[in-house]
Order: sequence, then structure tokens, then C-alpha cells
Amino acid sequence: MARYIIRRLFTMVITMLVVSIIIFAVVEIAPGNVARNILGAYATPEQEKSMENQLGLDRPVAIRYISWLFGSDWQAERKIGRPLKEIVIQQGTVERFRQWWAVDEDGSLVRWGIQDGQLYKYTRQPDGSTVGVPDEGAWKTDENGVQYFWGVDNANRAVLWVKGQGSVEYRYEYSGWRKFENAPVDYIPLTKGLLRGDAGISLRYRAPVSELIASRLKNSGILAALAFLVSMPMGLLLGLLAGLNEGKPADRIISLFGLVTAASPDFATGIFLIMIFSLWLKILPGATVFASSTAILDNPKMLILPVLTASLVEMGYILRITRASVVEVVQSNYVRTAILKGLTRTQVVLRHVLRNSLLAPITVIMLHVNWLIGGLVVVESVFGYPGLGNFILNAALYKDVYAIEAASMFLILLAVGTQLIADIIYSFLNPRVRYA
Amino acid sequence: MAVDSTMIRITPAQLRWRRFKESVGLIFASPTAVLGLVIVLIWVFIAAFAPYLTHYTPYEQDYKNINKGPSAQHILGTDHLGRDVWARVAFGARTILLLAPISVGVAFLLGMVLGLPAGYFGGWVDELVMRILDSIMAFPTILLYMIIISAVGASPVNVVIAIAIGGAPGIARLIRALTLDIRTREYVAAARLRGDRPVQIMFREILPNCRGPLIVDLLLRIGYAAFYIGTLGFLGLGLPPPTPDWGGMVQEGHKFMTTNVWPVLSATVAIVTLVVGLNLFADGLREETMRYQ
Repeated sequence: MARYIIRRLFTMVITMLVVSIIIFAVVEIAPGNVARNILGAYATPEQEKSMENQLGLDRPVAIRYISWLFGSDWQAERKIGRPLKEIVIQQGTVERFRQWWAVDEDGSLVRWGIQDGQLYKYTRQPDGSTVGVPDEGAWKTDENGVQYFWGVDNANRAVLWVKGQGSVEYRYEYSGWRKFENAPVDYIPLTKGLLRGDAGISLRYRAPVSELIASRLKNSGILAALAFLVSMPMGLLLGLLAGLNEGKPADRIISLFGLVTAASPDFATGIFLIMIFSLWLKILPGATVFASSTAILDNPKMLILPVLTASLVEMGYILRITRASVVEVVQSNYVRTAILKGLTRTQVVLRHVLRNSLLAPITVIMLHVNWLIGGLVVVESVFGYPGLGNFILNAALYKDVYAIEAASMFLILLAVGTQLIADIIYSFLNPRVRYA
Repeated sequence: MAVDSTMIRITPAQLRWRRFKESVGLIFASPTAVLGLVIVLIWVFIAAFAPYLTHYTPYEQDYKNINKGPSAQHILGTDHLGRDVWARVAFGARTILLLAPISVGVAFLLGMVLGLPAGYFGGWVDELVMRILDSIMAFPTILLYMIIISAVGASPVNVVIAIAIGGAPGIARLIRALTLDIRTREYVAAARLRGDRPVQIMFREILPNCRGPLIVDLLLRIGYAAFYIGTLGFLGLGLPPPTPDWGGMVQEGHKFMTTNVWPVLSATVAIVTLVVGLNLFADGLREETMRYQ
């Protein structure tokens, strides 16, 4: 058993590694590079070049991939010669900023900057302010006599300054482009890497992706859980009814209903429900508008249609598996024996059919998380629901690359992880699998 | 010879005709398949004769009649730009009925190139192919399409590529499983003995014998492809406007649903009937072939 689990874990790690390469390759290497996506068509070539340099996009693909996954701070530490530290700054209750500092010999946190051509060292004070002193002695000299210095600047990057050879830096801010003289010539954006929990900064929201994901994950979780609670019993019940009445009108109606709901695109189901309950009967709101993305339970009425949409699609699927499973069990020898030995129909159904036929759908549903995630993206988009699916769709439309990458990795890990758990549970129940 | 008198000689043409009759019989044996086929054929008819069935092109804008309900001039009304909804639905049928089979065709080619060698050679080739396939299958389908389309941009070709990449692993796995079974047959051993190269064996001996289950699977996949083309259109990742595309019509009309429900209703009914029709057809056929076997 342990060997089986270890083997499966190993395959899962390999799969996730290949998945990460695919995601990275598709998102960052595909035509229309990242800088263009961020800047749009109106940036000048100099601005684009400066931006690429600042984001580290001019570095080799392999290095960028490694930085994305494992972080870039250890690469920068080697260049700077000091350990680096990331601190989290709480502002109010929600807003958070992450700052990178170098740790000086005496343990204080320091950064550097150029003022009037002179190198300044800024030391962080306990109250969060900084005190700057000239640090001209820190310049190093290479074999050609050029003075250079690797340090940390005030925008969470490891940067290379070369004395008297400052390049021009364009920063894209809310107000538009800002030009800086005497800027560094090379940049390494500092990150801890996805594996160490740093998913990068969203290009759209200018906030850490991991926190954006966390708040939306909760909303999606609520939606998925409610949909599960509705669809599971309904699907099993209808599937059982259809399976017990195989070939009769009841079965035909339920089966057709199951096929139509399972085959219809999720958005179509959602649109139909909006038309019926919102436009025609006018009893439910057709979109979800919440005061804040954390307050979705304050107005339960708005949740009804999204939950119903997600459940209907899922229910059609559960219904069909359950029906197939029940039909198989009903034809089995032990059910025939049970009938022949004189048990009543209720007893046969409860004791023999129900128990044996529910195992298959329950395991299959565990394997179905992948599909459910795709459905949630669509349902959330139909109703404007502030969940992870909607978040990732908007990231894709806006080309918020770090958000797409992190959210996809997270969702796929979730899907692969549940699949692994389902497999392990299943192998407990069915020993034949273990030795396959 | 004695044998000759008892043996009925069948020409290849007759054999083909007999096989054809058998497959047609298979379809008509299942009422579900017939119902599905009829629905699909209605859409094929509409798509084929779209210019003769409509009075407007799907692009013509009538600024005086914006977001109007059905009338004598516009049987399904007009959309937010004053375009005839029926024309957009009819021409939208062309889009989806063209793109869905093409993407399944491309997916089939990809799946064949991956699945045949994996099943035939086994060993590390199989291991490598399976790991890649597993990784692609780990993606929630919609997510995979979203990532690809957002990276390469929305266009008919890119939609086809995305849907083909999403569908290929399933087809490759099916072909691999079938190949594993077929490669142990005598006629494959015979081909090997007479010195055929692996490529010849794979394409001449194995692939033709995968036909039965493969055709049913591909038919099912055309339904999925239509499903996803519609969904991508709805998510705003499908065909760029003003191409008539059912998913896109729902996406555009969604905002105006409270004033004019017709563009959204028509496009939604269109996509649901087509996808359900394709599913009924493939499903009915699958059940019938299973019974047949």
C-alpha cells in the first residue's frame, strides 16, 4: 500500500512539473510577449525595452522559469553578497505590502538608491521610516576599472548600478509613464518563487496574487459546496429511480433530462434559468452584486441561481453514472437471489441495490473535480460571481500573466490532489487496483 | 471446384455496400440516434443554405431598429447593433459546424501521432507520451483553452488549435489502448514477418482496425467541441466580432437581456439543440454498437 502511494505521489510530482513547464511556456514564450501584453500597442520601443529589463524578461527562459518556481532571491544574494529578507507590512487590516531588504552586517535592513550620481544607503528604522547616508565606499571595481554595485532598490528588485553609466528607466504608474535618469543597468525582480508561496504581484490589481486568490477561493468554495449539496442527493435519487425503472417512461424522461442538462453548455443553463426566474417570474436576481467580495453570504437570494446552475450541470452527470451503475447491479446474480429468496422490493433496493450501486458514482465524482472547476469558471462568469473562476477568466482576458500562472497551478494541483486521494481511497476499497 | 460452388463470391464493392448498409442499420436501430441525427441535419441544412434562408447578411446594421423583438422584417428580431438575429443564428451555424469537425480532425491527427507509437512500441516511448498526456489531462479543459487563447489571441485558427490540443490526449489514449490490443493479433505478426516497417504496420494494419470505437469517440467529441466553441465564445475568448458565433451572441446580448431577450434566447436555443443533437446521435450509436458487439 505504502509503495502504491509513493509511486502515485511520484507520478503526481512529475505531472505537476510538466504542467508547470506547459503553463510557463504557453503564457510567457507564446507570441505577443509579456511586456507587450502589459503595455499595449502604444508604448515606444525604449519604454518596452526598459520594462522588459525591469521585469527581468530579457533573461534566459530557463532562468526565468527557475525564478518563477524556486525564487530569484538566492540568485540575487550571490550578486549582492548579503542575505536578503522579505518583510510583510500590514497597513490597516487588509492591505498588505511585501518589501525586500538586504540584511547588513549589524543585522539592520538596508536598501540603496542613487541621488545626484551618488550611492546612498537607506537603513530601515523600527517605525518603518528610512534614514539615508552616502555609501560611496561600497562601489566595487571590475578588471576594466568600471565601478559597479549590486544592491536592492526601493521597488523590490536587485539592481546593478554602474557609476557614470546610468540608463534611462521608464516606470509605468497609475498616472502614466515616468522617466528616471541614472537608473540601474540590470534588474532581477525579487521573488520567493511559487513553490515557496510567492505567486508574484498581479499586473492588474498591483497586489500579491496569493492573497487575491485566497479571498476568491473562499467564495468559489462556498458555491461549489452548495452546488454539491444540492446536486449529489438529487442526482443519486433520480439516477436510482431511472435505473430501477429501466426502459419505462419514468426512466426515459429522467434519462433525457439528464442528457440534456449534462450536454448543455453551462452558460446556456444559466441563461435559461435567468430568463425563467429573473426576467419572466421576476422572483430572483439574475446577477450577483455584493457589497464586497467577502460578504457573499449576506444576501443568500443572490446565490440561488448560481448554485442552481452549477448543480443542474453536475446533477445530469451524477444521474447518468448512477443510472448506469444501478442498471448493472439490478441485473447481478445477488440481486436476483435476493428477489428469489422472497425479500420485498423495498428490502432489495435498500439492502442490495443502493449500497452496491452508490460506490461507483461517489468515486467517479471525486475524479470529476477537473470538470467542476471548468464549470465554475463559466457559472461565475454568467452571474458575475466574485470567485476564483471569474478571477482567472479576467486574468486571461487582461493577460495578467502572474495571476494566470499562479491560479492555474493552484487549480491543477487541487484537481490532481483530489484525484490522488480518490485513487487511494478507491484502492483501499478495491485491492485489485493496487497491484495493477 | 467443389468449394467454388458453395462459396459466394463477394466483390470489394459489394462488401463496402454491405458494410455501409450495416452502419446505416445501426443508426436506424436506435431511436435516440435518429432523433439526434435529425436535429443535427436540420442545422446542417440551415448552415448550408444560410444565404437562401435569410433576407439579410449577418453583418448588416439597421440603426433604426436596434434591439427589437420579432417582426415581419426580422423574424427573430434584431440585436444591439440592429443586426438580424435569424441571419446571425443561421450563419453562426456555419461557423460552429465548420470549426467543430475541423478541430476534432486536428485532434485526431495529433492523437494518432502520439497514440499509435505509444501503444505499438511501448517502453520509454509509451512512458514519455503518457506523462505528457497525463499532464495535459490534468488541466481543467476550460482552463487549458483559456490559457492558450489568452496567450495566442482569439481567432478561428487559434480556437481550432486550442480545442485540438484539449481533445488530443483523450483520442491518443483510446488509440493507444486499441493498439495495445491489436498489435497482438496474427495479421500484425504476419505483416512483421513479411518485413513491413513499423510505420506501415501502424497505419495499414492497426489504424484501420481501430475504426469502430474510434468513429463513435470522434462523433462524441464533435459534440464536446461544439460545446467548448460555444463556451469560449461566451467567455469572450472565441471568434473575434463581428463573426457570427453563437457563444459570442450570448456574450454580447447578455448585457441587454432585460430589454431584448431574443438574441440571447435564439443563440442559446441554437447551441443547446445542436450540442444535445450531436450527443444524442453519438450516444445512441455507441449504445447500439455495444449491443451489436
